[in-house]
Amino acid sequence: MSAALEKPARFALGPDDKPIVIASAFIILLLVIGTAYTLVTAGTMTLLSPNYLLQQLQIGAFLGIVAAGMMLVILIGHIDLSVAWTLAASAMMATTVGGPWAIPTGLAVGLAVGLVNGLGVAYLRVPSMIFTLAVNAVMRGLMVAHTGGFAPQTAATDLMRFLAAGRVGGIPMAIFVWVGVSIVIAVVLKRTVFGRTIYAIGNREAAAYLAGMRTRGVIVAAFAACGMLAGLAGVLLAGYSTKAYQGMGDAYVLPAIAAVVIGGANILGGSGRYAGTVVGVVLIVLLNSVLSIMQMPEAGRQIIYGAVIITMLLAYRSGRVHQG
Amino acid sequence: MIDRDARPLLELSQTSKRYGGVRALEGVDFACSAGSIHAILGENGAGKSTLIKIVSGVVQPDSGSMRLDGQDVRFSNPAAANAAGVVCVFQELSLMPDLSVADNISIAGPPTRMGLIDARAQRRRAEELLASIGCEDVNPLLRVRDLPLSRRQMVEIAKALGKRPRLLILDEATSALTNADVTVIYEVLKRLREDGLSILYISHRMHEIEALADRASVFRNGRHIETFPMGARSHGEIVELMIGREISAQYPTRVTRPRPAPLLEVRKLSWENRLRDVDLSLGMGEIVGLGGLDGQGQKELLLALFGVLKGVSGDMLIDGKPALPSSPVDAKGPGRRIALIPEDRKTEGLMLPMSIAENLCSASLDALSSGPFIDPGKQDVAVAEAIRQLQIKIGSPADPVATLSGGNQQKVVIAKWLMTKPRIILLNDPTRGIDVGTKQEIYGLLRVLADAGAAILFYSTDYDELIGCCDRVAVMYDGAIRVELEGDAITEQALIASALNIDTASTPALEHAS
Repeated sequence: MSAALEKPARFALGPDDKPIVIASAFIILLLVIGTAYTLVTAGTMTLLSPNYLLQQLQIGAFLGIVAAGMMLVILIGHIDLSVAWTLAASAMMATTVGGPWAIPTGLAVGLAVGLVNGLGVAYLRVPSMIFTLAVNAVMRGLMVAHTGGFAPQTAATDLMRFLAAGRVGGIPMAIFVWVGVSIVIAVVLKRTVFGRTIYAIGNREAAAYLAGMRTRGVIVAAFAACGMLAGLAGVLLAGYSTKAYQGMGDAYVLPAIAAVVIGGANILGGSGRYAGTVVGVVLIVLLNSVLSIMQMPEAGRQIIYGAVIITMLLAYRSGRVHQG
Repeated sequence: MIDRDARPLLELSQTSKRYGGVRALEGVDFACSAGSIHAILGENGAGKSTLIKIVSGVVQPDSGSMRLDGQDVRFSNPAAANAAGVVCVFQELSLMPDLSVADNISIAGPPTRMGLIDARAQRRRAEELLASIGCEDVNPLLRVRDLPLSRRQMVEIAKALGKRPRLLILDEATSALTNADVTVIYEVLKRLREDGLSILYISHRMHEIEALADRASVFRNGRHIETFPMGARSHGEIVELMIGREISAQYPTRVTRPRPAPLLEVRKLSWENRLRDVDLSLGMGEIVGLGGLDGQGQKELLLALFGVLKGVSGDMLIDGKPALPSSPVDAKGPGRRIALIPEDRKTEGLMLPMSIAENLCSASLDALSSGPFIDPGKQDVAVAEAIRQLQIKIGSPADPVATLSGGNQQKVVIAKWLMTKPRIILLNDPTRGIDVGTKQEIYGLLRVLADAGAAILFYSTDYDELIGCCDRVAVMYDGAIRVELEGDAITEQALIASALNIDTASTPALEHAS
């Protein structure tokens, strides 16, 4: 009875909602600080203009797509450190093939790398941290061999450019792609057997296996989806920059992991809502942008960036009940 | 030699230990003398392992005192006990598989030269110790991982002897040894006894105890019942001492009925050396118990039938057709419809942080979804039905299952499997650590399920449960089914005697070869 009375009295937030609320509040705080800064220095409210916000979301779309895949892998209690060169390889192969097959080729490369990761982790039982790191090195080597170490001379196709940099009704196409991916991932996680199995594996793989869930298949599929989404991000990024280049994915690995974790997902797997990852992506993109508007030197930006991630995580942890 | 016990080496007085609400040891007075081999007897949960954990410093007693050689001692950790000359060889091997034999033997205090480990001295030491127990054939430079189990156990004993014990504790330390090893170990132990060591010997092999021990102490329900010189009691009397209580009737009444045609047949099922040619049949409507002491292959048998173990040989038939599953997915599939209630609900049965509803549905998601999508309507109906059927006491199905009591958690595990409508239900000690009320509900439920046509195979460490619930009991010993008891022949006496692989009817003769 007392428990029943207690619940509606407090503003009830599930344990998964709290990080999302905190991160959203931090996003608003960033906008306020940034706007105050521009008001004082230039007398404008650049940050609140629709154009600026759409531009941030467009930049965020690439990171968001990588983070969506990363989230699947983190939820099962693993990690994919190969996304950097999966992304670059997909972009390079897409521009190399060109024509109508460019995008399918890019996605297929990502899917293939993801399948290798998944098979290595699920069947060979190699820890994902090592396996995906090694796969990343292999992909990098393959791409250096393919291009001779220089930026590929081939260019992105028109369709790639349109999907990444085009606008429909004033809204960047990349945002539509991100929204599409997000809807699929959110539905998969919430409504499907596959999604339920992902959470079960992340919480206790042995119990999921003994419940007769298809644990290995789901692990392979999660890595495959992560690889394919990294490939999609690579294709889009090549379209955005009009071509692929060496190391184009390097700046996406850690921010993708950070976005998932800032969104409240447990880095050891098993819990976290997809909405959190979206909020985490927006937060990271905005933080970078505000720091550069404030003309913070690179060193200071790195320090603040790292400090924010740690602070957010500590804020989530306080008050979270530890369940053994 | 037996009369040297005027001076006890180890003395415990009024020692008690509780784990939560469970009384593991209660007011125990116990003594053992130098120059003797002292056997400790008792059924599962009698307090044997708690006793040796206290003596060897693994756990601290709640109350009571301990004297070693007349001096009060209190060991806060195993290292302190080792330093005082108390060394224990545990049942679970304590060796590090990726280190060499020599590294393992000297792990706690390797010989050094100028501050660095002296590998040559360490190897020589390992060779000497291994030679002293007849293991010259073990190369000290091999990795422990590459040794067979029986050699590892010998290395474990060598490691213990290397600590120069005054009191040596062997906890089921001979369970994996070959007969030749056992003979050597007997000689070593007798020689150590001549040297004045005190040896506490825990084993469920009655013939070993008879061949070795000078004295024996029987424990029951956390109490020290009696200590007597070996040979002063017959087998029958020892079993009586180990049981020593009335059986309370709290079980659904058992109706004797003709044995049904088998639904599940198991023929010559073997796995590694943990299961040896197991033959068993299970009919519709039957509850068959698996008895025996812990670790005799019961858990492996259930896992093998559920498709978890790889490399199982032998046949398993359902409705007369070969049906050995290759995975749990296979086992619960439409052709077989097998369910397994696993041993440890917290790590194997439940995803603790996930909701009650999600846990309940986790084994039957295929039936609750259309295409890849889970049907929320079907799920809610099924969850409500399961909660009602098992009378699980919950706040909301959306609460994490971790918030429930142990008994209700176990009900969730059982309900989750009943939702798959199984024909064959395997249970691995399903009532361990749950309250009496829930236990009785589970007993009643098993009978209802059996009457509805399920075949139930039920491993329990609680003899009362086996007697009260089962139509038949198969007692396992050393990976094989030694005895099958049926109907009124299921008595605690018969269960314990067959669990210990002794024959209470005959005189204490030794006719066992295994």
